[in-house]
Amino acid sequence: MARAPRALSRAQLQLNSRASPFPPPLLTVGPPPMEEEQTYLELYLDQCAAQDDLAPPGSPLLSPIVPDDGYIPNTSNSETVFNSHLQEVKGASGHFSSVDLSFLPDELTQESKDQSVIRSKQDIEENCKTQSQQSRLSLPREQDMGLGLINDSTLSKSHSQAYPGDADSVQPSPEKPNSTPLMSITPMTPVTPVSECSGIVPQLQNIVSTVNLACKLDLKKIALHAKNAEYNPKRFAAVIMRIREPRTTALIFSSGKMVCTGAKSEEQSRLAARKYARVVQKLGFPARFLDFKIQNMVGSCDVRFPIRLEGLVLTHQQFSSYEPELFPGLIYRMVKPRIVLLIFVSGKVVLTGAKERSEIYEAFENIYPILKGFKKA
Amino acid sequence: MSAAGGQGRPFLRVFLAPEVTYSRSTGENDQVSRSQQRGLRRVRDLCRVLQLPSTFEDTAVAYYQQAYRHSGIRAARLQKKEVLVGCCVLITCRQHNWPLTMGTVCALLYADLDVFSGTYMQIVKLLGLDVPSLCLADLVKTYCSSFRLFQASPSVPAKYVEDKEKMLSRTLQLVELADETWLVTGRHPLPVITAATFLAWQSLQPSHRLTCSLARFCKLANVDLPYPASSRLQELLSVLLRMAERLAWLQVLKLDKRSVVKHIGDLLQHRHTLVRKAFRDGTAEMEAGEKELRGRCQGPEQGKEEVASSSLDLPEGKRPASPTPLLPPCMLKPPKRICPPPPVSTVTGDENISDSEIEQYLRTPQEIKDFEKAQAARQAARSVSNPP
Repeated sequence: MARAPRALSRAQLQLNSRASPFPPPLLTVGPPPMEEEQTYLELYLDQCAAQDDLAPPGSPLLSPIVPDDGYIPNTSNSETVFNSHLQEVKGASGHFSSVDLSFLPDELTQESKDQSVIRSKQDIEENCKTQSQQSRLSLPREQDMGLGLINDSTLSKSHSQAYPGDADSVQPSPEKPNSTPLMSITPMTPVTPVSECSGIVPQLQNIVSTVNLACKLDLKKIALHAKNAEYNPKRFAAVIMRIREPRTTALIFSSGKMVCTGAKSEEQSRLAARKYARVVQKLGFPARFLDFKIQNMVGSCDVRFPIRLEGLVLTHQQFSSYEPELFPGLIYRMVKPRIVLLIFVSGKVVLTGAKERSEIYEAFENIYPILKGFKKA
Repeated sequence: MSAAGGQGRPFLRVFLAPEVTYSRSTGENDQVSRSQQRGLRRVRDLCRVLQLPSTFEDTAVAYYQQAYRHSGIRAARLQKKEVLVGCCVLITCRQHNWPLTMGTVCALLYADLDVFSGTYMQIVKLLGLDVPSLCLADLVKTYCSSFRLFQASPSVPAKYVEDKEKMLSRTLQLVELADETWLVTGRHPLPVITAATFLAWQSLQPSHRLTCSLARFCKLANVDLPYPASSRLQELLSVLLRMAERLAWLQVLKLDKRSVVKHIGDLLQHRHTLVRKAFRDGTAEMEAGEKELRGRCQGPEQGKEEVASSSLDLPEGKRPASPTPLLPPCMLKPPKRICPPPPVSTVTGDENISDSEIEQYLRTPQEIKDFEKAQAARQAARSVSNPP
């Protein structure tokens, strides 16, 4: 079984995706004076008092669960940054999933996190049901789900008080609240809702890697002494060498650079490249093994339902190119991650252009809800 | 006079051609290279050959000029620049929903579709253009109108002449049916339309036309027969047969691919209901099956759908076997080879590489000598057969 996609925490994803608009707190001022901390706490308590149906400050919700990227937030934030964050949090009612609050200390973000837990669950349901317009789907905030699920009693209380009441300052979401009961789960397990996961893992089909043998090579000598080599200087200026295990092909150039193709995993590609380097060594060249790098990874999978490519090119025209007169598949150029997908009417998808395995998995998880939207004719 | 410009024509010419073109007198072409001028002329010529509206010409020329600002295009081979002419015209037509196919453009330019394809994709990306898809309905109208079947002639017998409007409307309905039943997605658009035109023509007077084959039809109509059209025809006929199984008065006739043509008119009239009944999407089929079971158990209380469709549908006892799923043909065929799940790989990349494994790829000294001898012999043989 191929390696399952590593569930990235929300914080990691946010960090990977873009430079955070807010500078990391560690780079700014030194330890804060006591008054500042006091002010933050007062502000927070005031808000809590205004919205009584949310958890009181002393509840277990406040036990900080530090994001596992080691980005431990401390309270040394400038006040303006904190306020602007709160503004953003309050203002953008439907877009909690894109707000990066990882740098704020956990106590200060509880109130916004409670709201976002209520909302993010609806967002996820919406995203699954309706056609997603954006090409990039942010993965659910596992920390929030974990937190919400620990304290299901408090949260369901807030659910029941918030929605039928309708009067208070908690903005009721337009959808009906999720009626499935909250499961109790061990707090540390990040949870992705089943409706989000496609359950399909793309298989890697080809890995292209390069390595520098760091010595000039005599290609004629290599072609003469090696059984598995072909060299046709008039056609191509490199020796084409093949080995049986792992079944791969290498292009070896006289400069000492080598390209290795055909492996089904990163480790196999590296092993194969090392074997080619050994062959070259045995032929008497002082070959080394420098700068091994995976240049491209190709994966494929099958969603098992037919796809209306004409519809997909209409709704995602800025990313898609579908020319049935030239090629039967739709070419989808995803921006984040930068992967090219070939989508066919049979539901088979080819993903290419990745430098890392996680990009392929992420790209597929991004495209799956979009494709599901085109399932029915 | 403009002799100082890029043209450098002799002074005498000015008297022989008393009218000087605007472009030569103002020197506006002085900045433009000769190959670009040639390309721009070809763009205009192509637009005129295709009888496009004059606004299209200006747009296509603008695209060509825009393309030429990129160094990759300026440095490209002549073949590519010639193909670029067609790309600019095609993009212009697509943006105005003028149904021009790539095949037509390539034929007019005597260009290879592969070269055209590469240049087209490159230029769309380079200029950041949003090119709409080919409009099928317009293509049907244009393509059908090109069939020489609307007037009797020495090659077209009287019984084969057909009314243009009737043929157009029926072809359009058949193409829509093909689109709905997954015969169009991912395929070349033109062969589907050829097959639909043929079926439409046949079905309008089946008694006289059933004997005519697709190839002969295209020859009479003076239209090229695209290779996939026969395959599209068979697919369309099997869709129509499935639909016919759902019409009560056709089920008893036990139709085949030839006799179903006579009833295409009826089938098209009820096509929406028939497609829904004849084909079921995989999950819907299961749900529908369960609902029917429940309906039968409940007895007199029948689902709305069954009451409504009773006029078209069969009595319960005689309903045919479960409907085929509505899927593209590529999903209905059995897989060519079963892909076994890949074996679990425990390779770490850092394993020890044994000497013996590497040595299996190296030639022994004896083998090297033999190989060199063989090579020398081959060289000698070559030089003998090709005397200098």
